[in-house]
Amino acid sequence: MRVYQVPTHTRLWLVITIIACSLPQLIRGPAWQAGLVILVMVIRALADRQRIRLPGKMVRGVLMASVVGLTWFSFGRIYGPDAGVALLVSLFSLKYLEVVRQRDAYVVIVLGYFVCATALLFERGPGMFGYVLLCMLLLTACLVGINHSDTGVRPLAHLRRAGALTLQALPVMLVLFVLVPRVAPLWNMRIDSGQARTGMSDSMAPGEISELSQSSDPAFRIAFDGPMPVPGERYWRGLTLSHFDGRTWQQAIPRGMEKKDYLAERGSPAPGWYKALMSAERGSGYRYQVIMEPTQRSWLFAMKVPVIEQGDAALARDMRLVAQKPVSETFAYTVTSYPVLSGAMRLDSIERELMLSLPDQDVGRRARGLAQQWRLDSSSAEEVVDRALRYFREHPFYYTLSPPPLPVDPVDEFLFMTRRGFCEHYASSFTFMMRAAGIPARVVVGYQGGEPNALGSHLMVRQYDAHAWSEVWLEGRGWVRVDPTAAVAPDRVENGLRAALSDSADDEPLLSGLQSFANSGLLGRLRQWGDYVDFQWQTWVLGYNSQSQMSLLRQLLGSVSPLRIALALLAGITLLLGLYTLFLLSRDRGYRQSPMEREFWRLHQRVASLSGVPLDTGITPAQLAERIAERWPRAAEPARQWALQYQQALYNPAVLADNPRIRHLRRLRNRLYKLLD
Amino acid sequence: MRLPAPIQRYYQAWLARRLPRAPLVVLNQRRIFIFPTGYGFFYLAVGSLLFIGGINYENNLVLSLSFLLASLFLVAILHTYRNLSGLGLRNGGSESGYAGERGSLGVTLFSEHHDHHCIWLEWEGQPAQQISVPAGTESTLWMNLALPKRGKVLAPRMKVESVFPLGLLRTWSYVSLDHCCLAWPSPQVSQECPAEGGSETTQAAPTGKAGNDEFRGLRGYVAGDSLRRIDWKGYARGAGLNTKLFEEPAGGRLWLTWDALEGIGTEQRLSILCYWVLALDQHQNPYGLKLPGMTLVPDTGDTHRLRALDALAAYPEFG
Repeated sequence: MRVYQVPTHTRLWLVITIIACSLPQLIRGPAWQAGLVILVMVIRALADRQRIRLPGKMVRGVLMASVVGLTWFSFGRIYGPDAGVALLVSLFSLKYLEVVRQRDAYVVIVLGYFVCATALLFERGPGMFGYVLLCMLLLTACLVGINHSDTGVRPLAHLRRAGALTLQALPVMLVLFVLVPRVAPLWNMRIDSGQARTGMSDSMAPGEISELSQSSDPAFRIAFDGPMPVPGERYWRGLTLSHFDGRTWQQAIPRGMEKKDYLAERGSPAPGWYKALMSAERGSGYRYQVIMEPTQRSWLFAMKVPVIEQGDAALARDMRLVAQKPVSETFAYTVTSYPVLSGAMRLDSIERELMLSLPDQDVGRRARGLAQQWRLDSSSAEEVVDRALRYFREHPFYYTLSPPPLPVDPVDEFLFMTRRGFCEHYASSFTFMMRAAGIPARVVVGYQGGEPNALGSHLMVRQYDAHAWSEVWLEGRGWVRVDPTAAVAPDRVENGLRAALSDSADDEPLLSGLQSFANSGLLGRLRQWGDYVDFQWQTWVLGYNSQSQMSLLRQLLGSVSPLRIALALLAGITLLLGLYTLFLLSRDRGYRQSPMEREFWRLHQRVASLSGVPLDTGITPAQLAERIAERWPRAAEPARQWALQYQQALYNPAVLADNPRIRHLRRLRNRLYKLLD
Repeated sequence: MRLPAPIQRYYQAWLARRLPRAPLVVLNQRRIFIFPTGYGFFYLAVGSLLFIGGINYENNLVLSLSFLLASLFLVAILHTYRNLSGLGLRNGGSESGYAGERGSLGVTLFSEHHDHHCIWLEWEGQPAQQISVPAGTESTLWMNLALPKRGKVLAPRMKVESVFPLGLLRTWSYVSLDHCCLAWPSPQVSQECPAEGGSETTQAAPTGKAGNDEFRGLRGYVAGDSLRRIDWKGYARGAGLNTKLFEEPAGGRLWLTWDALEGIGTEQRLSILCYWVLALDQHQNPYGLKLPGMTLVPDTGDTHRLRALDALAAYPEFG
């Protein structure tokens, strides 16, 4: 029986590997875990230097029990993703106390694979994946080390060998990643990454959007299949708010309408309005993919009117997209927006009633009066809209993110006293006045704008692009977007928030905060690059699912069938491994002739084949020349010359057998060939 | 694992056909077998578990981790195979021993093109030995060999195996070197010296009479001279290694002969001759050896003794 001991030259790699693999969890998890890893390493280091004995069963048992206890203490349970991973990482380092024989080291390495996998459950950036690849390299180096029983070997040799193996494995991994079919989950195990991000809430109370405006977190990214719309058209509708209680705008469904009539879901019978919409003339549209950051909400963002192409989402009657379940992790969907389609929608009487509803008479008395006045003076709804916008333009309204408070009557106080506010103030008061003038109107919240990536791949929409605007129902045109903010601060719509704030003294501190995200300087370029990498990562790695796989494979293979996929897999892997084999084993294929030997054997074979008599293989150059002289007396002299030169090159230390010499020999040989016939 | 006898026989015959005995073997794809180790299967199971995890959590990164494990396994096949491929083995030296004891055989491993790490050599029933062969070098490993009975003992089939570099796969080959170890007959004490010639043909060899030999002079040491004849005193004085020369001993030349032991079994005859070779050698009496088909002229010294013992071991096939 062989008794293995883990070789000394591998211990350092084991220590580094255990620390490196645990590191993501040590950073994320409770502090005692880091303490545990340090404790284990210290005990092990002392034991390896013969200062103490390796802890026995008792000590290990106590450590084990306290780890379970501490996990319970920190998480309130010992199962579930968080607690389970914490327990796994602790076991991983505890196991190192037991490593004596080779199989113990194997167990540590296998646990290391699982620890790496759990790190990828919580964090999925390219950085983390690169880090996990590094951990894999270390784990492979450990594997090489424990299988290397020479005592004299240098530890760095393990890393080099592991590096070669990993580099060769990566292309194979890529082939597998692209080609192995994505199976549907056997059972559902979703992990919420937990953190609810900043984002829209489902109502609009004063001040909420201005909070979002201070965050530069990404909200979503959009990649267009064709030209991008101009900045003034980039309105990403999120939800429509149609009920106003005097302070807060909220979502509402018309009284008496049911959810199934309101929402066109896949798999349930389509409501009438949806059928009408689908059969209407569409015109041209923008096709794009949206990759959304988790929001923990179920609404999605799109330009109007979105028709879903890929992804799980339903279309609501108010022309917005709703996900099947709250978006808890990065979520991608592809839609085509047809601006013309909005004319195909109809307004029911119950819907009209909701879109005209106003809170009781105490709120906005002056505003109502003004609106009704406009209605009386105008011949059409369009004219009322124009008058309202002109009102905002002609009076001293300011766009600011730090407006004074509106304690009693937000509508009247804003319109007639403070006149300082941002999108939600304008959208809210405008919509209020439209309703007062008898025009159905609603508030839409979402995002407006977006910053094209310098590398041109996509549009990045950040939280500070959050925006609110209005939609009014105009007979014959359907729901028409009106952005009253644009009347006050056209820059906000054309050039984004930063431009709109640039000459406002009140917003100076906020502006400098946002300025650091600007696209200027090295930092800005780096950020753009980082964003580009992040986007490609989202699209090609994280978002690579069975649908995108199918479309890619259709491009690569023509059509997709299990047989074709299997053949492509086989071909790809065989090709790569064949290349490696050529690279690794070609030199083992027997003896390689030197150029001098080749010179000799070429003439040897020519003479043998021309004379028809097999030649002795042990013949010397001089003997070969003699044979030639016997058979072809004319060639006797050149043959003798050749033999002389050849022997000189081979045996005379003063004559080098270098390239000019070999070329010279070849010329002699070719001259000889002509004489042999 | 033991296969049933008929299968085992068939398997052995197949191996003998496929990997015939040769004095020099270079391992190539005809000779190398490869299969996952237990840990290799375990590793694949871990990879599959990660695959299921990646599918169920719909996590492409965990999925690609499992693909990376699978790819490492595939690449490891090549590397493990290559660790054995191109390794050359040939006959090394041979250390004979008495029947019933042990001899040993040298196996020389050499490599032309690349390093071979952690190669285990194993004869059935013997503990394995490990060796690494860097490119362009050769090194010899001595393997113990039980010598159950007198004669030529062929080298058993040797298993050459390696799990380097990752321990996921075992690659191995069976090598039958055309190599043998001589087992000398075990000496059997006998009173009668089966010798002719000299003055005291039938007597026991003169014991303790080395002093009778007449000292004739010194000559330079030649490899093979008996260590007991070296002039150690002179060596200690710094005169170099010299061998003492003696006159013909009083007893004259002795011929140990096969025919003198008429009526005894072959092995016993050889054992008795062996005993006397050793006894005469110890007393530095020159002796010759006559076996049917082979004659060794009288001489003394280690080389002579070994030649005589080898002749006894090889009987009746000399050469």
